[in-house]
Amino acid sequence: MSDKVACSHCHLEFNENVMIKDEDYYFCCKGCQGIFHLLRDEGLDRFYDKMGNTKLSPPTQQYEDSENFDSPAFYDKFVRVNKDGFCEVSLVIEGIHCSACVWLNEKALHKMDGVVSADINYTNNKAKIIWSDDILKLSKIVDMVRAIGYDAFPYDASIQEVRANKERRSYYLRMAVAIFAIMNIMFIAVAQYSGEFTGITQSMKTLFNVAEGILATPVLFYSGWIFFRGAYFGLKNRVINMDLLVATGATLTYFYSIYISINKLGEAYFDSVTMIITFVLVGKFLEVLSKKSIADSLDIMSKYVPDNINVLKDDKIISKALKDVQAGETIVVGSGERVALDGYVIDGEGSFNESNLTGESEPVFKKVGDKIISGTISIDANIKYKATKDYAHSTLAGLVSLLENAMSYKPKIQRIANKLSEYFSGTILLLSFVTFIIWWLWPHSFAEAFMVGISVIIIACPCALALATPVATLVGLGLAAKRSILFKEAALLETMAKATVLLLDKTGTITQGKPKVINEKIYYKFDLSLLYALVKNSKHPVARGVLKHIEEQGEIRGVALEHVKEIPAQGIKAKVGNKVVLGGNAKLMQEHGVDISDVSEYTEFYFAYDGQLLAKYELFDIAKKDARESLGKIKKLGVEIFMLTGDHKSSAFKIASDVGIDNVRYELTPQEKSQIVTDFHNDGKIVVMAGDGVNDVLALALSDIAIAMGRGSDIAISVSDVILLNDSLTGLRDAFLISKRTFFNIKENLAISLVYNLITIPLAMAGYIIPLIAALSMSLSSLLVVGNSMRIKFSFKDK
Amino acid sequence: MDTWVVAMMMGVSIFLGGLGLIAFLWGIKSGQFDDEEKFLNAVKFDGEDDLNDFAEQEKKQKQLKKKQNYKPE
Repeated sequence: MSDKVACSHCHLEFNENVMIKDEDYYFCCKGCQGIFHLLRDEGLDRFYDKMGNTKLSPPTQQYEDSENFDSPAFYDKFVRVNKDGFCEVSLVIEGIHCSACVWLNEKALHKMDGVVSADINYTNNKAKIIWSDDILKLSKIVDMVRAIGYDAFPYDASIQEVRANKERRSYYLRMAVAIFAIMNIMFIAVAQYSGEFTGITQSMKTLFNVAEGILATPVLFYSGWIFFRGAYFGLKNRVINMDLLVATGATLTYFYSIYISINKLGEAYFDSVTMIITFVLVGKFLEVLSKKSIADSLDIMSKYVPDNINVLKDDKIISKALKDVQAGETIVVGSGERVALDGYVIDGEGSFNESNLTGESEPVFKKVGDKIISGTISIDANIKYKATKDYAHSTLAGLVSLLENAMSYKPKIQRIANKLSEYFSGTILLLSFVTFIIWWLWPHSFAEAFMVGISVIIIACPCALALATPVATLVGLGLAAKRSILFKEAALLETMAKATVLLLDKTGTITQGKPKVINEKIYYKFDLSLLYALVKNSKHPVARGVLKHIEEQGEIRGVALEHVKEIPAQGIKAKVGNKVVLGGNAKLMQEHGVDISDVSEYTEFYFAYDGQLLAKYELFDIAKKDARESLGKIKKLGVEIFMLTGDHKSSAFKIASDVGIDNVRYELTPQEKSQIVTDFHNDGKIVVMAGDGVNDVLALALSDIAIAMGRGSDIAISVSDVILLNDSLTGLRDAFLISKRTFFNIKENLAISLVYNLITIPLAMAGYIIPLIAALSMSLSSLLVVGNSMRIKFSFKDK
Repeated sequence: MDTWVVAMMMGVSIFLGGLGLIAFLWGIKSGQFDDEEKFLNAVKFDGEDDLNDFAEQEKKQKQLKKKQNYKPE
């Protein structure tokens, strides 16, 4: 018996006798050894102290040529030249496990001559590298990253993302200034107001006024800049928005306060100025915070397209760039490879996974003459096929361009709070102006009339209104996140609450996406280990289902099989000694003369040994266990449910009746699915679509709310608005419940602030409220709104 | 006289607070808080070697920039 030893580089543990021994160190592979020595030579072995007990994944050596990174096309797409003349690229570094990895990558790159800076984000593994292209080529940088055991691939730091980050940072800065100022002003205000009761000299009052004024100035003109900008753009588009109300109110109060301070007329109202700005700014920030960060363009799609494909030319296989391949050329596809071009088979046969296009996990068998579709994956096929179209006209490219269109046509539903604030702002400004005029004409001094007019604006409390939506949605989003439901944008809660139609994909959304053994018939008792050894050799979903079933049954020992052969679309054949072992469908059994009698409606898997049938397994892609109950709940909310599937009629109806869905559309192509979404839109419905596969992407992109399963394809997740991380339909139900509850709460909040205004505005117009009280009651109404929003949380406590 | 004392105290405290604010703003602007994980872990990677490395890198950056600017366009 030998002890387990940890590899000196990656810290994974293996038996001592399989390790490479090198001085006092042990390595699990040449890769780790190489990196270890490289780091030591470069003086970077401090990495190992920092890394602690973290385990790394050992380096893999199958990299595509790094020279691709130097191609003009690549530079064109990913590399920018900054103002100093240096090149800049964004890379995603793969293989980062701990902060020591970040340290190592940064240090290793910094050591290279020509690298100006390398900054790696630990949270999302994105690196920004700036280098001088005269000294160093990008491929060398990538080689370095690979040499130390990581991999790098480019990503297009989309303009939206950069802008979103910039906006967020600007909000942080503005809020920091505003909060700093408001805290100091509050202190001073305490002295100011208590002085009112205990006696205070005018000179002290003036001092406080000046101090408050100094603090309020940056708040109004720096933090409040957002409102001036918003008001300006609003006016340009002929809309009176909340920003205008805030900006006018704050500015008028500010200048009036300066007038008071100069003429020594008592307390100024700088505290009201900062309070309005800060409160509304926080409300706006909450909205920005929950805004959708638009997916990194459609780069993910490129993952589905191989860069180079193998083309047969003069009996030789050569590698060619995808876009250079013309229609009519012969392409070689091996097992596990992805098909990039459409065509038909001219040699060979085998199964293809077409789930990208149909959503069904069942492989499709292709033989000579059959059509091959781009975007599908060869499971076990080694074929040659003739391309009928070039890439630009292929099914896959068509799907991508359709998707791009769909993304830009996403319907926008105007939000109730925005609509409301438009009317509200206009009315208030008008009322306050009218009040001022009336007071002035009804002989009062200008100052008095002005004060009353301003108190109308301040009391109108844009704060409560501005906070009504963001606070409620933030509570709703937090609640959803706790249940593993991620909303990419806050406004989606409102849209979802208004939804009338729910479209569901079948495979992977309602069902588990993998066939599972539901019946087993053992004809003769046999050694499970033998079957286990057999099915382990196949990647076919049915074999996987059986494998999982056996694993659940317990002890398995190793059995040596010989001559294992996977027969496409039939099953697996192997030998133990001189006896033949078979595992597969009815066709395989018949061809080998095994007698089978009963037929079932499910997918069957037979197991035979030496011509004798031993067992039969029936498999079915069954519905998720909470499906029926959850969908029933959603139905009760008044949402119509439809099931859309690319599958056949019979299995579609079987699942539908299992989970209680009455409306089923079957044998749909991705385009037909999206057409259904459009049809519902034309009927004026608000559509929620839940799906997980590439075949759902078009429909997802078009729907008002797209929900993706957490285990779905990357592209489905990237076009989606809501992601259900735990894949369950209970999550879907909760998403509906939470959004309805939140929307209800938003309406309550708006009602509260409106009722409040209905009471206080007439009082203010009559001159009963001085700005001080207005400012105080403003905070009160904001608190009411915040408190009311918290109620969402309580109503979900028991569930 | 009282007013003057209060004014001085307020001035000093707001000035000191302002310094803190400016430092904080500088931190946000230079991206120190962008990556919270890295920011928290930075303590672990603080040592003489790291300081030297950083100084090296800054020197290198300056040199590269100089070179870049001398280059006739």
